[in-house]
Amino acid sequence: MDTLSRATDASLDTLALPAHAAQVAELFREHNRALIAFLRCRLNSMSDAQELAQDAYLRLLTLEHPERIDSLRAYLFRIATNLAVDRLRMRKVRNDMPIEQPSEDLHSSPIPERHVWAAEQLRDMRDALRELPAKTSQAFVMHVIEGWDFNVVAHAMRLSERMVRYHVSNALAHCRARVDQLEMP
Amino acid sequence: MTKILDEKTMCAAAEWWTRLRDPNGAAKTMDQWLEWTQADECNLEAFERVTELGNRLGCLDDVTRRQWANEFARRPAPRQRWLPLAAAASALLALFGSYLAWSHLEAVEAPRDYASAVAQNRSITLPDGSKVVLGGASTLTTRFSRGERRVELGGGEAFFQVVHNTQRPFIVSAGNVSIRDVGTAFDVRRTGQRVTIAITQGRVQIADDGGAPGSTATGSLEAVAGQLVSYDPATSAMSISSITPAQATAWRDDRLEFINEPLGVVVANVNRYSARPVHIADANLEALTFTGTIKTGAIDSWLGALPQIFPLRVSEDASQVTLSHAEPGQKAPLPTSQ
Repeated sequence: MDTLSRATDASLDTLALPAHAAQVAELFREHNRALIAFLRCRLNSMSDAQELAQDAYLRLLTLEHPERIDSLRAYLFRIATNLAVDRLRMRKVRNDMPIEQPSEDLHSSPIPERHVWAAEQLRDMRDALRELPAKTSQAFVMHVIEGWDFNVVAHAMRLSERMVRYHVSNALAHCRARVDQLEMP
Repeated sequence: MTKILDEKTMCAAAEWWTRLRDPNGAAKTMDQWLEWTQADECNLEAFERVTELGNRLGCLDDVTRRQWANEFARRPAPRQRWLPLAAAASALLALFGSYLAWSHLEAVEAPRDYASAVAQNRSITLPDGSKVVLGGASTLTTRFSRGERRVELGGGEAFFQVVHNTQRPFIVSAGNVSIRDVGTAFDVRRTGQRVTIAITQGRVQIADDGGAPGSTATGSLEAVAGQLVSYDPATSAMSISSITPAQATAWRDDRLEFINEPLGVVVANVNRYSARPVHIADANLEALTFTGTIKTGAIDSWLGALPQIFPLRVSEDASQVTLSHAEPGQKAPLPTSQ
């Protein structure tokens, strides 16, 4: 009796597993691009985004009770959000530690995310920023270039965080449009 | 290859970019964003493009980053005139605010971050009236509560003149070290986990992290005016030597004073004031000890003179200065100009 019910459970498990795996595979097909884009937006690094996306799928696949989750998609992005928060925290700790370390790293170890800018492109970007209102370019440079969080920028500029985000968005769209224009044949 | 996406889509994409980067964003933002990406295939494409640009601009080299920060992120001059008044007003507001807060049950103020730019010192009056001067490229966070005033030095250097209050101790933490004032003015410099504390007035209690400051736990010591306490992260040991108040706060007059400090530490601090980052190529040069004064306005001439006192070579280009081992047998070059 007991063995029978156990056997039934086991066969149910093996049935359930591939179904779940198929669901995850479908999520991957449909949303992987968005997931990577989201993680890259948070982390400012393509390689970290790819790594954490892998990690998120793995966690989803190894869930003990996938059937208890309402929306696997929402769950996948929630895992990814948490992984991104952990990663940012880890980076912050590492940055807070030795001051000389980051500058050391910049020179000695090859960082895959070091994109090469041609002098010309940099000049174009700078020109694009000069066309913007002072507050817009200031908020943008503080957040995007210097890496301050929105709340720090808001405090320094005596603006609300919402206004800071507004300025940053405007400048980013402006710069992106400029890059696209210049890259057009 | 690149197709021009319309302006509206690009603006929407950039707006999503900032919304998704907000650490306090709501969970439903994510759902709304996913819906948006699925509404039109151009949307995700536009989002990827702004993300790619944000990523690329976030990884600029140090020199460009500093140039752009100088050009765009420096506060406009007219605002400076308002600063003293605004600072006074905000200090008053903060005092009033904290009075209100104390009169209620919950008495914790929101943490505040302060940061200074490269090569700029910054004076701050904290809500309790204590004064802080931040050295170049330094960061500070205050966490004031009813019971204590906690200040974290994230990196760099700061000089504190503390308004004493036995009911509400003022505690500075810098890495593994915490410093508790006993009615005081003192200077704290944090270079990575290495911390030096110079007391110019009164006395402080200094504790290794973990040991609660104030309790007479082991690992806590008391230092008085004229003493310089150095915490070495390698050995977790603190050593005491002497320093004059003028030496301790020389950086406020654009001079950096070092007493028996490793060259690595000296260079890290010089970099807080240098237009071009100085980089030590050979790790064993970092252990050389340096004693002396460096004028923050004349870092180049200090660099020029370095080969006279150390077996090293200074090479420079537009973006950085590199210190490396002098070739064996090679004589130190003569000073270039005097």
